[in-house]
Amino acid sequence: MYKVVIIDDERLARNELKKLLAEFPELEVVAEAANADEGIEKIGSHNPDLIFLDIQMPGKTGFDMLAELDKVPTVIFTTAYDEYALKAFEVNALDYLMKPIEPSRLADAIHKMEAAHEEELESSAVSGLRTTLTEDDQVFVKDGDRCWFVRLADVRLFESVGNYAKVYFGTNKPLILKSLNALEERLEQKTFFRANRKHIVNLRMIDKVEPYFNGGLLLDLLGGEQVEVSRRQAVKFKEMMSL
Amino acid sequence: MKNISKYWLCQIVGWGSNIAISLFFVFTLGRYQGVYVLSLVLTCAAGLLITHLMRIHIHKLKVMSMRIKRQVIYFIVLTVLYAIVFGVASEFIDYAVGYMPSEKMQSYSRGVRILLSTFNGLWVLLIWNFIYFLYHYVETNRKQELNNLKLEATVKSLELKTIKSHINPHFIFNALNSIRALVDENPVRARRAITELSNILRSSMSAEKEETVPLKQELNLVSDYLQLEQMRFEERLKVEMNVEEDTLQHPFPPMMLQMLVENGIKHGISKQIKGGVIKIQAKYIADKLQLTVTNTGILQHNGRSVQEGGFGLKSTTDRLHLLYNDEARFEIKELKEGEVESTIIIPRTTPINS
Repeated sequence: MYKVVIIDDERLARNELKKLLAEFPELEVVAEAANADEGIEKIGSHNPDLIFLDIQMPGKTGFDMLAELDKVPTVIFTTAYDEYALKAFEVNALDYLMKPIEPSRLADAIHKMEAAHEEELESSAVSGLRTTLTEDDQVFVKDGDRCWFVRLADVRLFESVGNYAKVYFGTNKPLILKSLNALEERLEQKTFFRANRKHIVNLRMIDKVEPYFNGGLLLDLLGGEQVEVSRRQAVKFKEMMSL
Repeated sequence: MKNISKYWLCQIVGWGSNIAISLFFVFTLGRYQGVYVLSLVLTCAAGLLITHLMRIHIHKLKVMSMRIKRQVIYFIVLTVLYAIVFGVASEFIDYAVGYMPSEKMQSYSRGVRILLSTFNGLWVLLIWNFIYFLYHYVETNRKQELNNLKLEATVKSLELKTIKSHINPHFIFNALNSIRALVDENPVRARRAITELSNILRSSMSAEKEETVPLKQELNLVSDYLQLEQMRFEERLKVEMNVEEDTLQHPFPPMMLQMLVENGIKHGISKQIKGGVIKIQAKYIADKLQLTVTNTGILQHNGRSVQEGGFGLKSTTDRLHLLYNDEARFEIKELKEGEVESTIIIPRTTPINS
């Protein structure tokens, strides 16, 4: 059974979608929201597997809402013709459905989601409610007009920039509005390591380790970045790696 | 081909008349000499050849497409250069046919004679170049003006077309989606919504054909549109209409009010979580029709929404200008916190025909 939340500002649009989803017994619509803030609240309280999300909503757009979430469930965007949104979809190859939604396309999208979920369940046996973010979780990153779904396993490095954190993945390094301390609390300790005051590194993305001044270490990451490990953390690092 | 023959015509007529005038003077002064005529004809033939070479040179250097200051400099330099060539050629011709202009001339050395011939040639070439330059200058200007006019006309008609047929696809698909939901929930309302939507589509298609329609027709369209939007927004959209009876027959540019109302909803009311009110007012003020659309919202000066709104608003201004010159007016402003008002004022007279 998959838990579903529908987020759309129009009641009729939500009703229509619910009616379409009634054809899928494996899905259960657990909540509805009429704007982004309500959406964040409902996602927080129900921890859904899948959300249907409208882009244009009063207050905040669907993209803005996703960027505020710590952990993003599978998303299927629903939108009427909207050039701006279509451009975002093309650039980022996100899954979307055009309103009025064609039932066969909806079925395709749902089957795709189910297949992805099953695969994920096989790879990581752990499931249920957990508060830490593992490398299999995805986050939504929005930087100006560009946005990405990013699997945490693909992130090499978080760098603190004032109140923001710079996220390094692929060739991109957008900013997200989260402090490094808040991130450290949520990220799984066995994969993500606080190297110093300004950096959290993904341990699986380390290419080389070299000794550095003062008993510290210098890490070469796979993307070419270099991160210094402070002396205190270096002790911890060696402990972790020797296990 | 026409231009080439025009050029050669000018060349032949120009040099031919040079020969004719010189002969006329020589005959009237009674200093006719066989060698002189020969020298004159040959010199003019050389002049024709030299100016033609100069023209090829002008083309090669692309002088005509330079900025005007450079053009003048190039023309002066070319004129002097070719005048020297002309001077040498004319002196050579005189020598070859054995023509001696006068006793005084004979006392000068060859160098001085070439200098004098060059000076003579300079005047001829200056006149030649002046005519050439002036002709092309006028011609390019005329062509450019013509092109500009054509371009302007195309842009205008294109703009008008896109403005008039502008019904946001986002609106159409959202409306269709709501109708699909209503088919089960409220079939009577769903049927009415289909009628409203087809009215809107029909109006937007026929709007391209007409310059103006009676205000009543535009108001019907707007009220169909608003009913459909109310179906989507439900309690979030409230509508107030306040239209004076005597304005209903006033000729009005089709889809113009519709676009303002759509803007008001798209950039105003749809952005408010609690929604808002849209007010439409039509009345005469001192012989002019005044239409106002007031909506809940904030007039934005930056961001994406203004660009889109910007097109709609600018096209409204342009369209009014096209139809009424300076007699009509359009403005949009923030009335007070959270209320935006757009106003159209058009004269009672029928619009100018374009």
